Amino acid sequence: MKIRRFIRWAALLMAVPVLLLCIPKAASASTASAGTGWVRLAHLSPNTPAVDVYLYSFGDSSAELVLHHVGYGVVSPYEALAAGQYTVGMRAAGAADTTKPVLSASLTVAPGGAYTVAGLGPESGLRLQVLKDQLTTPPGQVLVRVIQASLQQHAVTVTWNGQPTVTNLAFGSVSSYQAVSPATATLHAAGASESANSKITLAAGTVHTIVVLDGAKGLVLDNLVDAAGSDDPPAGAAATGFGGTAPRVPSPMPWLYLIAAGLLLATAGGLVVRLMPRPKGRHAA
Amino acid sequence: MPRKWQAAWLLLGAGLIVVGVGAAGLAMTRQPVTPQYGATPTLPAPTGPVVAASQRQPAQVSLPVALTIPSIGVQTSLTRLGLTASGTLQVPPSTAVAGWYTGSPRPGAVGSAVIAGHVDSHVGPGVFFRLSSLRPGDLAYVRRADGTLAVFRVTVVREFAKDTFPTAAVYGPTPDAELRLITCGGTFDPQLRSYLSNTVVYATETS
Repeated sequence: MKIRRFIRWAALLMAVPVLLLCIPKAASASTASAGTGWVRLAHLSPNTPAVDVYLYSFGDSSAELVLHHVGYGVVSPYEALAAGQYTVGMRAAGAADTTKPVLSASLTVAPGGAYTVAGLGPESGLRLQVLKDQLTTPPGQVLVRVIQASLQQHAVTVTWNGQPTVTNLAFGSVSSYQAVSPATATLHAAGASESANSKITLAAGTVHTIVVLDGAKGLVLDNLVDAAGSDDPPAGAAATGFGGTAPRVPSPMPWLYLIAAGLLLATAGGLVVRLMPRPKGRHAA
Repeated sequence: MPRKWQAAWLLLGAGLIVVGVGAAGLAMTRQPVTPQYGATPTLPAPTGPVVAASQRQPAQVSLPVALTIPSIGVQTSLTRLGLTASGTLQVPPSTAVAGWYTGSPRPGAVGSAVIAGHVDSHVGPGVFFRLSSLRPGDLAYVRRADGTLAVFRVTVVREFAKDTFPTAAVYGPTPDAELRLITCGGTFDPQLRSYLSNTVVYATETS
């Protein structure tokens, strides 16, 4: 009985440090940046009226994000989301959120992943497409992708800085990312009967999506920044402290001096005791 | 004669006592002492037009001029930081001001804007002394040259060892407008005259 109680206590005592070890691990595993991805929503179907877009976390019937009255050409900013499964539902603008979505798509948000969920194509063939967006570029380069959302021009060729980047991209389709050189230059898009120019800056280390839209007077180019970082990141860490507030061990010198002085005194006293003839009184005693 | 004898004994005894006191003092001072500073001051949030610029083109976002972090009493102008000859991040010339790394996106533009400041000088606290006490949800305000404010909400506070500094996780690209605040942290190595870690605060622009 006693032994059993002893073992129980010992086990309990041993569990405490183990638990303490577990706590910081659990805390660091739940840090936000580790499990975050990004999603943005876009309406890129020229003849489809405005819509309400709902983003649901999988299995949750209340929407995480609702964008009301999203018209053609509108692209939302990226929304940071916990990694996981999501469903995007599109309803006609103003439709009750209890009605069945006109269109829906599911997507898996991976940690650190970015996605564009876009309504593409003509109204008669409207589809919700999940695009995986790129964040990083080859060193010193720019990544450019084109979404062809012009119904007026069935195929469009996009030229950047005199170099054809995407040729004959069909309406409703999305090109892959192309690596180009950074510059401030003219972006040119041309269909069979219309064209558009836009002077833009593409900086090294940035990722862009160019959306070709039908405007009131011909083609319009929308330059979306998918991602940007430091194109020339500093090497290593930052030297941002001189130690003035760091915990410090005080100098031992005053105490060492004190010890030396004490030793000197004691030695002097000791020598005197040793060398001086003993007083007679002591002898007598 | 006996008086001198007694004095010598006294001298010996006193000397030994002083040695003992010195040894005790020496033993006690082997414990590191952390300098204490007053309670964290707080500041009111700055006022001005808040413009979330994440959808605008980078060139349309005005340059940053000042930083306020009300919850830890930080209010500083922002210098411009480039790179040193060896390719590391320049640090502000004064420990009382923070600086924005000009190679990073402008605060409020898409991407991770980087602002660095000293944790301390040789003698006392620097501008980012209390950075590591920031908590998720705290707000940081960057005022730009056009008078507009970009408001960021802290998401994570991390400490990274300097010899394994994760460049990509700090300076890497993001699809939204974010802010990274960098200072020193961890143990101070008196031989290297350097802290062994960096404290990095991650914040995301509120929309």
